[in-house]
Amino acid sequence: MEKSNSSVLAKILRKYTLEIILILTIIVLSFLSPYFLTVNNLFNILRNISLQGVIAFGMTIVIVAGELDISISSSVALTGVITALVAGNLESAGIMSRSAGVIPGMILSLIVSIIIGFMNGWLVTKYKIPAMIVTLAMQNILYGIAALISKGFPVITLPNWYSFIGSGRVFKVVPFPVVILLIFFFITFFLLSYTKYGRAVFAVGGNAEAARLSGLNVKKTKIISFILIQVCCWFSGIMLSSQVMSGTFTFAKGWEMTAISSVVIGGASIAGGIGNMWGTMLGIIFLGVLTNGMTLLNVNDYTQYVVRGALIIFAVLLSATQQHHNN
Amino acid sequence: MSILETKEISKQYPGTLALNQVSVSFESGKINALVGKNGSGKSTLVNIFSGAVKQTSGQFFLDGKELSFSSPEDAQNHGVATVYQELSLIPGLTVAENIFIGRLPVKGFSIDWKKTYKMAQDLLDELGIDISPKEVISNLTAWQCQMVEIAKAMSHNPKILQLDEPTSSLAQNEVESLFKIIRNLKKKNVIIIYITHKLQELSQIADNVTVLRDGKLIGVREIAGLPHQELINMMFGNVEIKSRPADLKYSDEVILDVRHISDGRKVKDASFQLHKGEVLGIAGMLGSGRTELLSCIFGAQQAISGEISFQGKKIEKPTPTKMNNLGMAMTQEDRKRIGLNLNGTIGQNLCYASLNRLGNSFIVDRAKEKQFINRQINDLAIKVSSTDYQVSSLSGGNQQKVVVGNWLNIEPQVILFDEPSRGIDVNAKQQIFKIVWDQAARGVSSVIVSTELEELIEVCHRIVIMRGGKTYETVLPEEITIEKLYSMCMGE
Repeated sequence: MEKSNSSVLAKILRKYTLEIILILTIIVLSFLSPYFLTVNNLFNILRNISLQGVIAFGMTIVIVAGELDISISSSVALTGVITALVAGNLESAGIMSRSAGVIPGMILSLIVSIIIGFMNGWLVTKYKIPAMIVTLAMQNILYGIAALISKGFPVITLPNWYSFIGSGRVFKVVPFPVVILLIFFFITFFLLSYTKYGRAVFAVGGNAEAARLSGLNVKKTKIISFILIQVCCWFSGIMLSSQVMSGTFTFAKGWEMTAISSVVIGGASIAGGIGNMWGTMLGIIFLGVLTNGMTLLNVNDYTQYVVRGALIIFAVLLSATQQHHNN
Repeated sequence: MSILETKEISKQYPGTLALNQVSVSFESGKINALVGKNGSGKSTLVNIFSGAVKQTSGQFFLDGKELSFSSPEDAQNHGVATVYQELSLIPGLTVAENIFIGRLPVKGFSIDWKKTYKMAQDLLDELGIDISPKEVISNLTAWQCQMVEIAKAMSHNPKILQLDEPTSSLAQNEVESLFKIIRNLKKKNVIIIYITHKLQELSQIADNVTVLRDGKLIGVREIAGLPHQELINMMFGNVEIKSRPADLKYSDEVILDVRHISDGRKVKDASFQLHKGEVLGIAGMLGSGRTELLSCIFGAQQAISGEISFQGKKIEKPTPTKMNNLGMAMTQEDRKRIGLNLNGTIGQNLCYASLNRLGNSFIVDRAKEKQFINRQINDLAIKVSSTDYQVSSLSGGNQQKVVVGNWLNIEPQVILFDEPSRGIDVNAKQQIFKIVWDQAARGVSSVIVSTELEELIEVCHRIVIMRGGKTYETVLPEEITIEKLYSMCMGE
């Protein structure tokens, strides 16, 4: 009897490892810093993670499909630059005010994002170039384009109302990006778990050849995943440029690391076929809590890098040993 | 002279006894052929000698000294060299580097290339192999690579040399060159074990033959004066064939018409007609292009010429997606590698081919999905406690049923089965065949490719013979014996 009790406990521990670690971290931090467990700080954490979190959801789909996208940081920056440039140029050409002109800017940058996603997916699936290479090259190309069209300066021609997207609060409490984060979570969660497309993503990432021989369209499934993550980047780029009220080509540097880390901490396999949105959500929150906690405790910025890096290795080790257990 | 003896060696796998108290001996100075149909235990015996598998009970001795290996490396260090069907050479390196890989002679801090090439040249000369040691492997043909493999094996000065189907990928004239090298090895004090399924090779190369069947030793015979018929009987035994139900008739309507298919490599000119409700077998040896023919029809690979008509319509450029939509299914031979998503659950794996049929919108209709899953679990008698378990937790036979069930969910008109009984036990095989017959009774047609010819006789209405990528005559199972069918596949 005792034995079965302990094995049930072990099962629960294994199933909810991440939840337990997260709760423990929160408990420890709330003791270490009195400010940590305040409503203001918790919303602050959520607001800080929401921009990269939106991308992590897209990254989950791409990783479950067995691919990777590291072009995201540049496309986030490019979105802001294009949106601000279009608004500014329409105004200086006397066609419309920047208040109205930012809308065509957003539409154009969305179209560009979709094209980038399609290009990534097309190159990866059609020419069988590893996604790592294609998207790394794309990261460089997009960074260069963003710098060229902005001539290397922040583009600040954004209307006042625009700042609501990144800095506004719903009911004067909940930051607007947090609302977007939650909406994205539900959409992508639904997409991965309840739609035919989601099933296809798991099949393709788990065994692409078996999926193809079952009559599934492997290329289409992968290309769509690359487009989806770029659409996520677009939302993120809009929110980021709104928070800073400028489009700047150096924005979002290194965000691909955060996005991939959250997905991996959330239990996804970088080999594809395994992963879930709830895990990614926990991964994002965990990274956010950790960063916030370390900042509150005045931990040196560079030390934070070391801790975060070590943590990723720890998470991967954990999931590797768990898979070993399952086998 | 040295001698390798086994004493009551057995190997138990879960569910099957692969070797059953085999006591046999192999002498040096002779070429000892080892034959047996699939599942006879010959690979298991080879793997025990090479250290890849450990016997469950029994012992084996070299010149009276007991051998026991912890790993293939250990076996190699104790003088057992094995040349496998799949070549292990590294394409970018030279012949000499491949032969001495991991133990290249060094001078100071660098490799002593002069000595390497000299050693390789001496070895090749000794074996009578006319290949330059400086040649890069990727420039060599298949049979030259096979010779380099043998040279590499011989460079370890083995006491036992196992050759596992060395001619399987070679043309007839290349086979003769290879045999010359192998005969040459007889002069050395090495025990040669030659594994093959090509019976016509035996008289050319072997001195004696050891026959295994269902894990048991059937006998050892001198090749000289051994009647072909006796060897066949030893290999297959008195095969008892349970036949398909007598009332299972097919109609005259042609549902699939395949004409002159060629893929430019393995398939040269293949044609057949499949009728509604018919179970058609394709008999042929490994490498005869059977799998590739099915893949061309299903669109898993591209044919370069030929015509396919399905349900009276000509099919241009088939793809698996297109054929799936038209109602054609294909189950894969290698279910772990390309048949299943091992990360997925049993339920998910039952619904991949039918994904687009799960409701009309982009959302998965969960009720329908459940119905699809349960239908196959019940109809195919798949033994599971929950369909949410990973498909990898199932036995081979049940995994195969999931592969079949995945396709039955599209309610296909034609199912192409590629080696449906590979790696599953007798009981599961019977169940798979019952599924085929049940489908035939509903008017679903099947094409079955199998290496196990007695199975085809058991299951099919008609059998097409395939050799070297071409289809030949069609035979009726009632009018043919297993021996005759075997000879026809061999082209004798």
